[in-house]
Amino acid sequence: MTRHAPEIAFFPEASFGAALNCVGIAQELQKQGAVPVFICHPGFTGVFAEYGFKEYHLPEGPADTAQTVEDYWQDFINTHVPHFNLDPTAQLPTYVAPTWKAIVETAIAAEDDLAQLLDQIRPDAIVLDNVIMFPAIANAGCPWIRIVSCTETEIPDPAVPPYLSGLAPDDADAITSFAKSYADVTAPIHRNYNSFRRKCGLPALPDRLFLEASPTLNLMLSPAPVRYQRDTPLPQDRFVFLEGCVRTENHYELPRFPVDDGPLVYVSFGSLGAVDTNLIQRMIDVFETIPARFLVNVGAVIEAYDRVPDNVNLGGWFPQPSVIAQAALMIHHGGNNSFCEALYYGVPSLVMPYCWDGHDNAQRAEAVGVGRRINRAAWSAQSLRADILSVLGDDAMRSRLAGISANMQRNPGTVRAASAILAAIAPAHTSSDGALKDHARPSPVGSP
Amino acid sequence: MTEPRRNIRQNHLALAQKILSVALDRGMTFGDHLPETTFSTACGVSRTPIRSAFKLLEERDILEWRSEEGYFLAIESAAELNATIRSLEETEHSVAHQILSDRAERRIGAVQSVSALSRRYKMPRASVLNALKVLSRDGLVRQLPGRAWAFQSMVDSPDAVEDSFDFRIVMEPQAVLAPDFVLDTKRASLLREQMSGFLNAGDTGVTPAGFGRIDIAFHTFVAECSGNRFLRASLSAHHRLRKASQKTASTPAFRLRQAMLEHLEILDSLERNQFQLAADQITVHLRRSRIRKPQAANRGIPPLAKGPRT
Repeated sequence: MTRHAPEIAFFPEASFGAALNCVGIAQELQKQGAVPVFICHPGFTGVFAEYGFKEYHLPEGPADTAQTVEDYWQDFINTHVPHFNLDPTAQLPTYVAPTWKAIVETAIAAEDDLAQLLDQIRPDAIVLDNVIMFPAIANAGCPWIRIVSCTETEIPDPAVPPYLSGLAPDDADAITSFAKSYADVTAPIHRNYNSFRRKCGLPALPDRLFLEASPTLNLMLSPAPVRYQRDTPLPQDRFVFLEGCVRTENHYELPRFPVDDGPLVYVSFGSLGAVDTNLIQRMIDVFETIPARFLVNVGAVIEAYDRVPDNVNLGGWFPQPSVIAQAALMIHHGGNNSFCEALYYGVPSLVMPYCWDGHDNAQRAEAVGVGRRINRAAWSAQSLRADILSVLGDDAMRSRLAGISANMQRNPGTVRAASAILAAIAPAHTSSDGALKDHARPSPVGSP
Repeated sequence: MTEPRRNIRQNHLALAQKILSVALDRGMTFGDHLPETTFSTACGVSRTPIRSAFKLLEERDILEWRSEEGYFLAIESAAELNATIRSLEETEHSVAHQILSDRAERRIGAVQSVSALSRRYKMPRASVLNALKVLSRDGLVRQLPGRAWAFQSMVDSPDAVEDSFDFRIVMEPQAVLAPDFVLDTKRASLLREQMSGFLNAGDTGVTPAGFGRIDIAFHTFVAECSGNRFLRASLSAHHRLRKASQKTASTPAFRLRQAMLEHLEILDSLERNQFQLAADQITVHLRRSRIRKPQAANRGIPPLAKGPRT
């Protein structure tokens, strides 16, 4: 019998949430003796290498020169920043449908190159952290594992509100209406995607679904306190809840603030949210009036700011887990990684969502008493100030979060994920003749 | 008499800072002994100033004196040690430091008057003027016609960092390749010791701030050994600007260690007089170090390598 260190190929989508979530699990897999490698989308070169992981790169598209990508982003900002103030239903035709269309086009464009890379790597397992299936993964001849790094609503159930709706589970009329609109706006995109799947030998997916559950293992970030009561419980042999998934980062040394007292508030809307400099400037004007220190992630556009108040410090990138660990409050967009990291360190969230599953997390944070939702289109200086001061002074919320944090830190999601992955693939990377076993059996389509 | 006394104290402050950097790089922790001779060698000075600097650190409860035993570290963690080093730096150049730091943090505009700064820092005009003169000696500000002072461009944004790397990739290899490059072997040996100490420190000792200090010291040292006076001057000035204004990058520990090993390899080549190899290694080191995360990313869109126009 041959045993070798299993090589696990991570394929996170081209977003920081998924990428850094995978880094946390890869760090732990490495400690447990596996060899994690990363398949990178163009533009993510070096993100994983600087954590010490080998990278394999998907090539850039022929039209993706630096200038065309920059122009694309400029158009995206001009078009979509106004949409970020719309409610989730109004975002369906304006933001969600165009985004799904682009995601499907990206998956189709990547297929051949991804298949070639997987043939080169020949991993023992693939970990997919994305919102869409790439047929090359299902056809790679090794087990694949799905990370659901968006909210739990991504896995449907009659008792769980629709994905991206921001609705509460008991809001029946709104749920019916949203689900219908969602199916309507995504229908042509979904047909195109299913046609692509069939060409690649995969079965079509039911309406609204772009990614099936893995037949081997599915990892869900949602910590227990924010989970929904499902009509049909997820099968425990294939679905593992991680209680968040927080990577290890260097200790973050706080900068000196000229006004250096008061609780620390960390503000980040992700690299996409940072492009709305007008909104962040308005918030900074409010921060100046509050007796606290504010660390604000302004992404790549620090030059858009001047006259920064003495209790505010701007940065283009923060090692987020290390910062949140020192914060008394986090103001964020409801990205699932940010939300889970705040819970992990027992830090309350003020969630100002602008798109996608941020709406779902904002609703959930308020519903379970670990934070509050702020309406991006309707806040005023007075209301924001009142919300910040109120949450900073909410001892009951802090005490509730301390219990959640203690539980999450007792059971780190990264350790649980790595152990579950190794257990799930154990039969595959060990065989009497050295050959890998074939785990690429058809997925149970349409249900978990 | 006041001015020389102030200078002596500033020298001791600078040395105290250096002592703490060495302690940090060696991964020293609470209760570790600081032998005078070891620190005298590491800092390249005699034991008398080391004793004075130890005394100064004792006054600030950073070191503890034990009769007949010597000085011991009285600080708990690397983070605390880093914060102490930073606070010593601030003491050293108080007003100038505050002005520069506030500009780098975008708290004050690029053009300033002495009156406005005097109001902001509640300092006499003469003190502010002195501070501006200190900064102007380093080329960080210049006096405009009239009474205004203008800050020069700083390494304080993603685009500026890119420009800085472009400049360094052109200039730093040339500084090594210029005729009459002379390696100061004594300083090289001290730097090697600091870099090895960084690599041998445990996980808590490998911090971006600790790396940043050694990184700037190393690249400044290489520039200062160059045989070309203009390369020497322009690179030294640029590294001073980096030190003054560049935010500490949040680089993971793996890359910090890898980059420090690259420094040691460059130093190996310089010690063997393999200047072409050293120049190539500098280029590779800088190209690796300049790789940045995408500046914006979102599902369905190619990640953006440069910032959007605002």
